[in-house]
Amino acid sequence: MSTPLPVHKLLESPTSRAIEIGDWAVTVSTNPISNARDCDALHAALGFPLPEMTFGSNFLCLEHRPSKWKYEFTTLNALKCVKNGELGEGDGGVKVGYADAWLKSRTAPSSALPMPKTVPTKPYDWTYTTAYAGHPSVWTPPADDDSTSDASSRPPSPAPPPDSSGPPREWAWTLADAANPSHAIPLAELSRPDPILFYAEVPLFEDELHDNGAAHLLVRVRVMPTCLFVLARFTLRVDGVLFRLRDTRLYSALNSTPPLVVRETSGWEAPYDRVKGTLPRRDDLSPLTDSNYIAKVLTGMPLQSSQKDGAGTAWRGLGTTLEVAVLG
Amino acid sequence: MGSDLDEQIEQLKRCEPISEEQVKRLCLKAREILIEEANVQHIDSPVTICGDIHGQFFDLMELFSVGGFCPDTNYLFMGDFVDRGFYSVETFLLLLALKVRYPERMTLIRGNHESRQITQVYGFYDECQRKYGGTNVWRWCCEVFDYLALGAIVDGRVFGVHGGLSPNLHSIDQIRAIDRKQEVPHDGPMCDLLWSDPDDIQGWGLSPRGAGYLFGGDITKQFAHTNALDLIARAHQLAMEGYKIMFERTIVTVWSAPNYCYRCGNVASILELDEHLGQEYKVFSHAPIDVRSVPSKRPPADYFL
Repeated sequence: MSTPLPVHKLLESPTSRAIEIGDWAVTVSTNPISNARDCDALHAALGFPLPEMTFGSNFLCLEHRPSKWKYEFTTLNALKCVKNGELGEGDGGVKVGYADAWLKSRTAPSSALPMPKTVPTKPYDWTYTTAYAGHPSVWTPPADDDSTSDASSRPPSPAPPPDSSGPPREWAWTLADAANPSHAIPLAELSRPDPILFYAEVPLFEDELHDNGAAHLLVRVRVMPTCLFVLARFTLRVDGVLFRLRDTRLYSALNSTPPLVVRETSGWEAPYDRVKGTLPRRDDLSPLTDSNYIAKVLTGMPLQSSQKDGAGTAWRGLGTTLEVAVLG
Repeated sequence: MGSDLDEQIEQLKRCEPISEEQVKRLCLKAREILIEEANVQHIDSPVTICGDIHGQFFDLMELFSVGGFCPDTNYLFMGDFVDRGFYSVETFLLLLALKVRYPERMTLIRGNHESRQITQVYGFYDECQRKYGGTNVWRWCCEVFDYLALGAIVDGRVFGVHGGLSPNLHSIDQIRAIDRKQEVPHDGPMCDLLWSDPDDIQGWGLSPRGAGYLFGGDITKQFAHTNALDLIARAHQLAMEGYKIMFERTIVTVWSAPNYCYRCGNVASILELDEHLGQEYKVFSHAPIDVRSVPSKRPPADYFL
């Protein structure tokens, strides 16, 4: 016997898609990488060189209408969490694998290739490591006049909910209560092969670190008959040095009263050779470019090594934090 | 060999790999030609200069339809033929077959991806294994990579190189002294030519990654002046608009992989130099979606956890 699907509405424009279901609206926008003008503006806002592939107009937006709760994942805000300036304790800064050898070959007294006088270049985290877990956004009432809405990039807005007066409700992330079963991400429910009502992948940025590895941040969302679920995953590979992963998961049961959002943020790290040692074929390194493979290896390791020791960088993003927000 | 080779070119133009035995003979022949070339190969205008291709075979066909097919048009490809795209094998072998068939009209110089180490990470090695069931083709291609020139100079006035300049190389003559027939080293001037980038600085900068150089406008202008160059053409970095001119038109980045990695949505370009070295950039978009070429635009829904 199949349960009827909950009522929902799908909206689509050339660059965006949305679903409205119950009290929720989920919108994604996917576009080409930013053009030179947009990149210049982003560069000016951030103050460090942008990732090679910056999807500056992409975003995921979650809205819970009765509480006027709006939460977004955007490229600009993700990059604002990248360390700009000299890296310090906890930032987890690294150099490329052959940096020492390279520098030595240029600076040794016997070097045939003396280093020229160099000017200081802008210090920033060239790995684009970000612990970005999304950010709360300002609630804007859905517009019913097309001339005022950004109709070109977003699908038509729905009618405002009935209780649209009054300010957004107060809310905050608080640590989850281990004794409360609703304060957890229910893997059993999420593993159930229920129909997926809405699915999207939203890349925010990618950089190949000048062929020294790869860094990317990808946000995925799926809306199920009973819940919505988001995974934002930052994956980093620095060849010969390390692998790093930072996940943010958001979960909300569509029928929870009061409405509750669970957020889990986790960081893992491992030395490069440790992960390389798990390859099925020793001479084929291509799984190391697959973030699913990296995630499987890192999350399958003993927590002491992947979430505490990491790759010895003392990166503060290691470990797991589980939080909840009651939307009122 | 001529008519055999013409058949192979026709086959490769249909994106069908040639046999392992044919690859072996093609690579041997290519090495005989490349070994005679200088580190900085002299070529004559008119010529069309192209940047990174990265195994995007159908986009290379698009490039040829915009720029004209070889031998009707002379080409200089500035490296990064392989990796990342789905058709590195067909892409590189077609360019190499054209090189062997029309050595004077097709110039290939080395990019940092024409390397054993890099291709083992970024896909070419894996693709050779899948398409030929072994590593022979990859090994033969890597041997060819070691013989590729490091740069090219058009009419003595336009210098083409994959990455950029090196603080240890002030003149093009100094590049001629490098022993290039080796795997791309991690340091030294050969590494710099394939890896360095122009940047909005004065003088030389160290990359924040800890290895590699950045060079400023003054360095670029000085190098152009010393070597009596109109222009330095390089590739190596993605340019959303297909090309990026810097430092009062002394250097340009040419990027020839549209919709890079099948998801960036960028356009690509080629730089046509006429017989007076007049410059014209031709911008082109990615090939109409080929069912074999591009994964579907919308990823299949996935029960990610």
